[in-house]
Amino acid sequence: MVKNDNSRLDRAIGRVLNVGVAASSACLAVGLGLSMFGATAGAASLMLNAGLVILMATPVGRVVVSVSEYAFERDWAFVVLTTIVLLELVGSLLAAVRLG
Amino acid sequence: MPIVTPTLAAIVFGAGAVSGGLGALLGIGGGIFLVPFLNLVLNLPFTAAAAISLTTVIATSSAVSAGRTGKQLINLRLGMLLEVATVAGSLLGGVTAQFLAQSTLQKLFGIVAAVVAIVMVSRIGRRNVILDPSAHPGVLGGRFYDEESGGVVTYRVKRLPVALFASFLAGDVSSLLGIGGGVIKVPALNAWCGVPLRAAAATSAFMIGVTATGGAVIYYGRGQLMPSLAAAAVLGVQVGSWSGLRIGDKASVNWLKLLMAAVLVFMSALMFIHSRA
Repeated sequence: MVKNDNSRLDRAIGRVLNVGVAASSACLAVGLGLSMFGATAGAASLMLNAGLVILMATPVGRVVVSVSEYAFERDWAFVVLTTIVLLELVGSLLAAVRLG
Repeated sequence: MPIVTPTLAAIVFGAGAVSGGLGALLGIGGGIFLVPFLNLVLNLPFTAAAAISLTTVIATSSAVSAGRTGKQLINLRLGMLLEVATVAGSLLGGVTAQFLAQSTLQKLFGIVAAVVAIVMVSRIGRRNVILDPSAHPGVLGGRFYDEESGGVVTYRVKRLPVALFASFLAGDVSSLLGIGGGVIKVPALNAWCGVPLRAAAATSAFMIGVTATGGAVIYYGRGQLMPSLAAAAVLGVQVGSWSGLRIGDKASVNWLKLLMAAVLVFMSALMFIHSRA
């Protein structure tokens, strides 16, 4: 069962996702509150954008952690696979910057 | 772009909650409801609807998967392998769109969704789980505690190329339509690749975040994402996924399959109506 038991990886991914979800939700809640009921448009926009960037960074962070955890386990096939996913994500990020 | 009033934000919050719930139950991001709802009911431009939908899909994926780690339900190895195909598909989504007319695409997906709905109904009462705890799951299979069976169950992954192709297609559709693509992955994994529905849903929910990120950053970079509405939807997801996770592991698999078939019939009808408009 050792081969399929990725409990260390599982915990590492869980941490990244939990932190990402909590941080982005907190920023978005404050930002939404400010934009609905506050008068400070600048602060609201700052919090909203921070929340959205954290939200979109969370899956990327999860892939980064997977690459390093698979490397730690010396599971090279999966190091390669997760690195490809990471490169594909970087590709769309570059596309976004170019189009933006 | 409409002015964001507290009422509009509250409605979008509710729609986000539905998506989060569906994500936890069926492993789909809820985009197939969210995009038409935002576009047709709330009159947002299609790009704005797709952009909000993709951020909602990311939130659903992260929230649902965070709540599930440690339960062995997410098949990490299978998920990461299929992600290679799904992210490649989402990158190529824009290219495919150039060759096919929008109405052709919609009719095509209408047909695919209807066929998959029938396949889903035919799966009722048939399960992929192996009850013998000493059975070996193989390289990509897995084990998890199944409440319905009352013990740890094992499964093996079959027909990997089908799973890879379905994931590629799901990624392709994701950028085009602003959805996560779980609606294609979950039935394919369950009906043809030997993955039990709960594991298929959990693994799909895990993957759709990465699938949607590719499209979401592009919409965000172009300034097509409305931050306050995206925030309302994402916060709704937290509530919906929390509730969905509490029901999901107790709901019967047959009930989940019927719900999935209903979602597919809805999607199919919607696609046909759109292709005529």
